[in-house]
Amino acid sequence: MDFNQFWQHVQQAVPLLDNFQLQMVWEYRELFIDGIQMTLGITLIAVVLGTLIGLFAGMARLADVKHGPWKYPVRFLLRWPATAYVTFFRGTPLFVQILLTHFAVMPLLVHPDHGLILSGELASTLRQDYGAFLSGLVALTLNAGAYITEIFRAGIQSIAKGQFEAARSLGMTYGQTMRFIIVPQAFRRMLPPLGNEAIMLLKDSSLVSAIGLGELAYAARTVAGAYSRYWEPYLTISFIYLIMTLVLAAGVNHLEKRYQQSGGIH
Amino acid sequence: MLRTPFRFLTTALLAGMMLNAPAHAAKTYQVATDAAYAPFESLNEKKEAVGFDMDIMKAVAAKAGLQIKFVNTPWEGIFASLNNGDRDIVISAVTITPERKQSMDFSEPYFEAKQLIAVGQSSKATKLADLKGKKIGVQTGTTGDEVAQKLLGKTSPNIKRFESTPLAIQELQSGGVDAVIADNGVVVNYVSNNAKAKLKTIDDATFAKEYYGIVVKKGNKALLEQINKGLAAIKADGTYDKIYKQYFGK
Repeated sequence: MDFNQFWQHVQQAVPLLDNFQLQMVWEYRELFIDGIQMTLGITLIAVVLGTLIGLFAGMARLADVKHGPWKYPVRFLLRWPATAYVTFFRGTPLFVQILLTHFAVMPLLVHPDHGLILSGELASTLRQDYGAFLSGLVALTLNAGAYITEIFRAGIQSIAKGQFEAARSLGMTYGQTMRFIIVPQAFRRMLPPLGNEAIMLLKDSSLVSAIGLGELAYAARTVAGAYSRYWEPYLTISFIYLIMTLVLAAGVNHLEKRYQQSGGIH
Repeated sequence: MLRTPFRFLTTALLAGMMLNAPAHAAKTYQVATDAAYAPFESLNEKKEAVGFDMDIMKAVAAKAGLQIKFVNTPWEGIFASLNNGDRDIVISAVTITPERKQSMDFSEPYFEAKQLIAVGQSSKATKLADLKGKKIGVQTGTTGDEVAQKLLGKTSPNIKRFESTPLAIQELQSGGVDAVIADNGVVVNYVSNNAKAKLKTIDDATFAKEYYGIVVKKGNKALLEQINKGLAAIKADGTYDKIYKQYFGK
């Protein structure tokens, strides 16, 4: 039995679905399946890279030398750039960042004729095959990175100062203190907001459809554009997004439990 | 009959609107347009919709005695806005197609259009068939999108859809797609306004002629009749030709 027959049976059984033409979604199913993969893929990569950015930018935002020759270099080369980065990406809409990246910044850097970083044949194929993906990923990663920077900063600052002082007085260097004492403790406290950020990012990745990247919202847009019908495609992706965020939330929950067992006091 | 899964809801809404109807005797008709489609419709610096379609609609309304107000409405939801009662009329370079006729009513044609392919000046493509296996940029849900789907397959990843035709052409300019398929008026307007863009256009003989129509909600015969009467009047007295000349020469 093919899908259309199956759906007709369902419609006969449930009169409320009489006019719900799920066949049109089925017709474009490949687009939806590719869309799910793209949404999950781009979210996963952006969260991982964003966490890396957040770790370093978060520490850069806290970097401070009170006296000595490193006072000004640390301030101007670490703290201020990190602060400016967070301010920009937290203070402008993600949608604008995506359009800016794709239609202004990327063409400047990667362009078949006059790219600053890359031009010629390679730039051409790169843009054609991965252009929207790269731009979308860069925008999502930098945006997530800015929020995660603040999560890291809050996490690190929440660790009592005595921990830091104790580690240093044991002879640990600044790097060792951060790596073995502060960040691991902070990470446990950061898990809930990190999970939250991942869920936000999964949903916000739908904005990338504006630059023509074939993710989940793009599939729905295509069907809506072809049939001028809105219930079927958008309700379908709503459910898919919902399932994905629920799974993600469950995963974060599981992680939290595990970290609590290993020494949490809650 | 309304074709929504929650028929009872829409019926209730409609009933509410009918009760309100006598309150405003001279109704101002809300005209939806997606004002990102120069020279047919765009926004001027005062945020008013201007363009060929606006001038035609104003002339038609004047002849038909309709009060109208243009409302900038994104293309994606533009036809839905008729059914949910937000707008009464759509004029937005809408091609009359058999599929669309099933869910909305069209006026007599008011413009003859064609699809046109835009490519970079160095491109070797000379006809639609040359675009097989190439990346094609289109505006979501337009006739260009349909043409691309017919050529490459409905779910082809080589079709890249954008919210507006200028955005699709922008992508062509920065090398993200090999070609853009869109309505001739818009493509020609873009190419002539962006001489530095190094684009050329290809006219494929297999593209069928298309006609733009003014759209009303399915079954709104009274309004459609008024619009058609106005349209016939401006075609008869030379107003149409004057507006046409203003935008497209000849």
